[in-house]
Amino acid sequence: MGRPGGDSVRKEWQTLELCDRFFDSIERNDYETLESCYAPEAVIWHSHDCLYQSRADNLAMLKAGMETLPKVRFKDRRIRVFEGGFVQQHTIYVTRANGFVGQMDVCFVGYVRDGMISRAYEYFDTGRITKFLG
Amino acid sequence: MDQYEIRELCEQFFDAYENRRVDLLDRIYSDDCIIWHNVFGRETTRDENLAALPDSYKGQRRRTYDDRIVNTFHDGFVIQYSLDGVQNTGHRGSLWICIVARCRDGKITRIDEYMDSSKFAAWAGREGTR
Repeated sequence: MGRPGGDSVRKEWQTLELCDRFFDSIERNDYETLESCYAPEAVIWHSHDCLYQSRADNLAMLKAGMETLPKVRFKDRRIRVFEGGFVQQHTIYVTRANGFVGQMDVCFVGYVRDGMISRAYEYFDTGRITKFLG
Repeated sequence: MDQYEIRELCEQFFDAYENRRVDLLDRIYSDDCIIWHNVFGRETTRDENLAALPDSYKGQRRRTYDDRIVNTFHDGFVIQYSLDGVQNTGHRGSLWICIVARCRDGKITRIDEYMDSSKFAAWAGREGTR
Protein backbone atom coordinates (compact mmCIF):
# COMPACT_ATOMS: atom_id res chain seq x y z
CA MET A 1 0.00 0.00 0.00
CA GLY A 2 1.19 3.48 -0.78
CA ARG A 3 1.45 6.19 1.78
CA PRO A 4 -1.85 7.87 2.64
CA GLY A 5 -2.29 10.91 0.48
CA GLY A 6 0.56 9.89 -1.80
CA ASP A 7 -1.40 10.30 -5.01
CA SER A 8 -2.80 13.64 -4.05
CA VAL A 9 0.61 14.90 -2.96
CA ARG A 10 2.11 13.82 -6.29
CA LYS A 11 -0.73 15.43 -8.22
CA GLU A 12 -0.34 18.65 -6.25
CA TRP A 13 3.38 18.70 -7.00
CA GLN A 14 2.70 18.11 -10.70
CA THR A 15 0.23 20.98 -10.79
CA LEU A 16 2.70 23.30 -9.06
CA GLU A 17 5.35 22.27 -11.57
CA LEU A 18 2.96 22.96 -14.47
CA CYS A 19 2.17 26.39 -13.09
CA ASP A 20 5.86 27.27 -12.76
CA ARG A 21 6.68 25.83 -16.18
CA PHE A 22 3.93 27.91 -17.78
CA PHE A 23 4.98 31.27 -16.33
CA ASP A 24 8.71 30.51 -16.56
CA SER A 25 8.31 29.73 -20.27
CA ILE A 26 6.84 33.18 -20.90
CA GLU A 27 9.67 34.82 -19.00
CA ARG A 28 12.26 32.82 -20.98
CA ASN A 29 10.62 33.31 -24.39
CA ASP A 30 10.33 29.53 -24.63
CA TYR A 31 7.35 29.25 -26.96
CA GLU A 32 7.58 25.48 -27.41
CA THR A 33 7.26 24.84 -23.69
CA LEU A 34 4.51 27.42 -23.38
CA GLU A 35 2.50 25.73 -26.10
CA SER A 36 2.91 22.33 -24.44
CA CYS A 37 1.32 23.65 -21.24
CA TYR A 38 -2.04 24.19 -22.98
CA ALA A 39 -4.40 21.30 -23.66
CA PRO A 40 -5.71 21.16 -27.24
CA GLU A 41 -9.10 22.48 -26.12
CA ALA A 42 -7.69 25.25 -23.92
CA VAL A 43 -9.60 28.52 -23.66
CA ILE A 44 -8.55 31.61 -21.77
CA TRP A 45 -11.01 34.07 -20.23
CA HIS A 46 -10.04 37.66 -19.40
CA SER A 47 -11.84 39.96 -17.00
CA HIS A 48 -11.54 43.04 -19.24
CA ASP A 49 -13.86 41.65 -21.95
CA CYS A 50 -15.38 38.64 -20.15
CA LEU A 51 -14.80 36.55 -23.26
CA TYR A 52 -13.10 33.24 -23.82
CA GLN A 53 -10.08 33.50 -26.10
CA SER A 54 -9.13 30.48 -28.18
CA ARG A 55 -5.89 28.62 -27.60
CA ALA A 56 -4.55 29.71 -31.00
CA ASP A 57 -5.36 33.40 -30.45
CA ASN A 58 -3.91 33.40 -26.97
CA LEU A 59 -0.71 31.70 -28.10
CA ALA A 60 -0.39 34.16 -31.00
CA MET A 61 -0.75 37.05 -28.54
CA LEU A 62 1.86 35.60 -26.19
CA LYS A 63 4.22 34.85 -29.09
CA ALA A 64 3.94 38.43 -30.32
CA GLY A 65 4.85 39.57 -26.81
CA MET A 66 7.88 37.28 -26.79
CA GLU A 67 9.03 38.79 -30.08
CA THR A 68 8.54 42.44 -29.18
CA LEU A 69 8.88 42.92 -25.42
CA PRO A 70 12.43 43.13 -24.06
CA LYS A 71 11.54 41.55 -20.71
CA VAL A 72 8.55 40.02 -18.92
CA ARG A 73 8.70 38.95 -15.28
CA PHE A 74 6.09 37.45 -12.95
CA LYS A 75 7.03 38.47 -9.43
CA ASP A 76 5.62 37.83 -5.98
CA ARG A 77 4.07 34.60 -7.17
CA ARG A 78 1.69 33.13 -4.62
CA ILE A 79 0.36 29.75 -5.72
CA ARG A 80 -2.27 27.52 -4.23
CA VAL A 81 -3.28 24.18 -5.69
CA PHE A 82 -6.83 22.84 -5.49
CA GLU A 83 -8.45 19.70 -6.81
CA GLY A 84 -8.35 20.13 -10.58
CA GLY A 85 -6.25 23.24 -10.83
CA PHE A 86 -4.40 26.14 -9.25
CA VAL A 87 -4.59 29.83 -8.54
CA GLN A 88 -1.59 32.10 -8.88
CA GLN A 89 -1.48 35.71 -7.74
CA HIS A 90 1.41 37.73 -9.11
CA THR A 91 2.55 41.11 -10.31
CA ILE A 92 3.58 41.13 -13.95
CA TYR A 93 6.39 43.51 -14.88
CA VAL A 94 6.78 44.25 -18.58
CA THR A 95 9.77 46.16 -19.90
CA ARG A 96 8.77 47.96 -23.09
CA ALA A 97 10.96 48.93 -26.03
CA ASN A 98 11.20 52.53 -24.78
CA GLY A 99 12.46 51.33 -21.40
CA PHE A 100 9.19 51.89 -19.52
CA VAL A 101 8.48 49.13 -17.01
CA GLY A 102 4.77 48.51 -16.70
CA GLN A 103 3.21 46.52 -13.92
CA MET A 104 -0.14 44.93 -13.14
CA ASP A 105 -1.51 42.81 -10.29
CA VAL A 106 -3.03 39.65 -11.73
CA CYS A 107 -4.93 36.65 -10.45
CA PHE A 108 -4.73 33.62 -12.72
CA VAL A 109 -7.00 30.62 -12.11
CA GLY A 110 -5.99 27.57 -14.12
CA TYR A 111 -7.98 24.37 -14.54
CA VAL A 112 -5.90 21.33 -15.35
CA ARG A 113 -6.59 18.17 -17.33
CA ASP A 114 -4.00 15.45 -17.90
CA GLY A 115 -1.16 17.70 -16.83
CA MET A 116 -2.14 20.60 -19.11
CA ILE A 117 -4.08 23.82 -18.66
CA SER A 118 -7.49 23.30 -20.23
CA ARG A 119 -9.18 26.50 -19.07
CA ALA A 120 -7.86 29.66 -17.49
CA TYR A 121 -9.33 32.83 -16.03
CA GLU A 122 -7.25 35.99 -15.74
CA TYR A 123 -8.40 38.88 -13.53
CA PHE A 124 -6.81 42.33 -13.56
CA ASP A 125 -7.81 45.99 -13.40
CA THR A 126 -7.82 47.83 -16.72
CA GLY A 127 -8.63 50.97 -14.71
CA ARG A 128 -4.93 50.95 -13.88
CA ILE A 129 -3.85 50.26 -17.45
CA THR A 130 -1.59 53.31 -17.72
CA LYS A 131 0.64 51.81 -15.05
CA PHE A 132 0.94 48.81 -17.31
CA LEU A 133 1.15 50.34 -20.77
CA GLY A 134 2.88 53.60 -19.92
CA MET B 1 -9.96 23.45 8.85
CA ASP B 2 -10.89 20.80 6.30
CA GLN B 3 -12.12 21.62 2.81
CA TYR B 4 -15.78 21.29 3.83
CA GLU B 5 -15.39 23.78 6.67
CA ILE B 6 -13.55 26.18 4.38
CA ARG B 7 -16.24 25.88 1.71
CA GLU B 8 -18.97 26.45 4.29
CA LEU B 9 -17.14 29.51 5.62
CA CYS B 10 -16.89 30.87 2.08
CA GLU B 11 -20.65 30.47 1.53
CA GLN B 12 -21.43 32.05 4.91
CA PHE B 13 -19.23 34.99 4.00
CA PHE B 14 -20.93 35.68 0.68
CA ASP B 15 -24.41 35.07 2.04
CA ALA B 16 -23.68 37.59 4.80
CA TYR B 17 -22.45 40.12 2.24
CA GLU B 18 -25.53 39.54 0.11
CA ASN B 19 -27.90 39.90 3.06
CA ARG B 20 -26.06 42.98 4.40
CA ARG B 21 -25.34 41.21 7.67
CA VAL B 22 -22.42 43.27 8.87
CA ASP B 23 -22.78 41.61 12.29
CA LEU B 24 -22.07 38.21 10.73
CA LEU B 25 -19.16 39.54 8.71
CA ASP B 26 -17.73 40.91 11.93
CA ARG B 27 -17.69 37.35 13.29
CA ILE B 28 -16.30 35.83 10.10
CA TYR B 29 -13.27 38.16 9.88
CA SER B 30 -10.42 37.28 12.23
CA ASP B 31 -9.23 40.07 14.52
CA ASP B 32 -6.14 40.56 12.36
CA CYS B 33 -7.93 40.18 9.02
CA ILE B 34 -6.55 42.22 6.12
CA ILE B 35 -8.44 42.98 2.92
CA TRP B 36 -6.42 43.91 -0.17
CA HIS B 37 -8.09 45.42 -3.24
CA ASN B 38 -6.37 45.39 -6.62
CA VAL B 39 -8.30 48.47 -7.71
CA PHE B 40 -6.75 50.54 -4.91
CA GLY B 41 -3.45 48.66 -4.70
CA ARG B 42 -3.57 48.75 -0.93
CA GLU B 43 -4.67 46.85 2.16
CA THR B 44 -7.46 47.81 4.55
CA THR B 45 -8.11 46.49 8.03
CA ARG B 46 -11.20 44.55 9.01
CA ASP B 47 -12.52 47.54 10.95
CA GLU B 48 -12.09 49.88 7.97
CA ASN B 49 -13.84 47.37 5.76
CA LEU B 50 -16.77 46.83 8.12
CA ALA B 51 -17.19 50.56 8.70
CA ALA B 52 -17.41 51.20 4.95
CA LEU B 53 -20.09 48.58 4.28
CA PRO B 54 -23.30 50.42 5.29
CA ASP B 55 -22.50 53.31 2.92
CA SER B 56 -21.45 50.93 0.16
CA TYR B 57 -24.88 49.26 0.30
CA LYS B 58 -26.81 52.53 -0.06
CA GLY B 59 -26.59 52.83 -3.83
CA GLN B 60 -28.25 49.51 -4.59
CA ARG B 61 -31.61 48.08 -3.68
CA ARG B 62 -30.24 44.57 -4.20
CA ARG B 63 -26.93 42.83 -4.65
CA THR B 64 -26.49 39.12 -5.30
CA TYR B 65 -23.30 37.14 -5.48
CA ASP B 66 -24.04 34.70 -8.26
CA ASP B 67 -22.42 31.96 -10.32
CA ARG B 68 -20.12 31.17 -7.43
CA ILE B 69 -17.32 28.83 -8.41
CA VAL B 70 -15.48 27.85 -5.24
CA ASN B 71 -12.27 25.87 -5.00
CA THR B 72 -10.60 25.15 -1.69
CA PHE B 73 -7.01 24.49 -0.71
CA HIS B 74 -5.30 23.69 2.57
CA ASP B 75 -5.50 27.18 4.06
CA GLY B 76 -8.18 28.95 2.11
CA PHE B 77 -10.27 29.25 -1.01
CA VAL B 78 -10.56 30.96 -4.34
CA ILE B 79 -13.98 32.04 -5.53
CA GLN B 80 -14.96 33.34 -8.96
CA TYR B 81 -18.37 34.99 -9.11
CA SER B 82 -20.51 37.69 -10.61
CA LEU B 83 -21.74 40.55 -8.47
CA ASP B 84 -25.17 41.39 -9.82
CA GLY B 85 -26.66 44.62 -8.61
CA VAL B 86 -29.93 46.47 -8.97
CA GLN B 87 -29.31 50.15 -8.37
CA ASN B 88 -31.86 52.40 -6.70
CA THR B 89 -32.54 53.75 -10.19
CA GLY B 90 -33.51 50.28 -11.36
CA HIS B 91 -30.38 49.90 -13.46
CA ARG B 92 -28.99 46.38 -13.46
CA GLY B 93 -25.30 45.64 -13.79
CA SER B 94 -22.76 42.91 -13.22
CA LEU B 95 -19.14 42.75 -12.18
CA TRP B 96 -16.93 39.68 -12.52
CA ILE B 97 -14.72 39.24 -9.50
CA CYS B 98 -12.21 36.79 -8.10
CA ILE B 99 -11.29 36.57 -4.44
CA VAL B 100 -8.49 34.55 -2.89
CA ALA B 101 -8.94 34.10 0.85
CA ARG B 102 -6.86 32.63 3.64
CA CYS B 103 -8.64 30.96 6.56
CA ARG B 104 -7.69 29.89 10.07
CA ASP B 105 -9.66 28.56 13.04
CA GLY B 106 -13.03 29.07 11.38
CA LYS B 107 -12.37 32.64 10.29
CA ILE B 108 -11.07 34.52 7.27
CA THR B 109 -7.65 36.05 7.90
CA ARG B 110 -6.92 37.64 4.54
CA ILE B 111 -8.79 38.55 1.39
CA ASP B 112 -7.26 39.53 -1.94
CA GLU B 113 -9.90 40.93 -4.27
CA TYR B 114 -9.48 41.25 -8.04
CA MET B 115 -11.92 43.19 -10.17
CA ASP B 116 -11.92 45.64 -13.07
CA SER B 117 -12.62 49.23 -12.03
CA SER B 118 -13.22 50.27 -15.64
CA LYS B 119 -16.54 48.42 -15.35
CA PHE B 120 -17.76 50.33 -12.29
CA ALA B 121 -19.56 53.05 -14.25
CA ALA B 122 -21.48 50.53 -16.33
CA TRP B 123 -22.32 48.54 -13.21
CA ALA B 124 -23.73 51.60 -11.50
CA GLY B 125 -25.49 52.93 -14.59
CA ARG B 126 -23.22 55.97 -14.79
CA GLU B 127 -21.90 55.37 -18.29
CA GLY B 128 -21.28 58.59 -20.16
CA THR B 129 -21.71 60.70 -17.04
CA ARG B 130 -18.10 60.68 -15.88
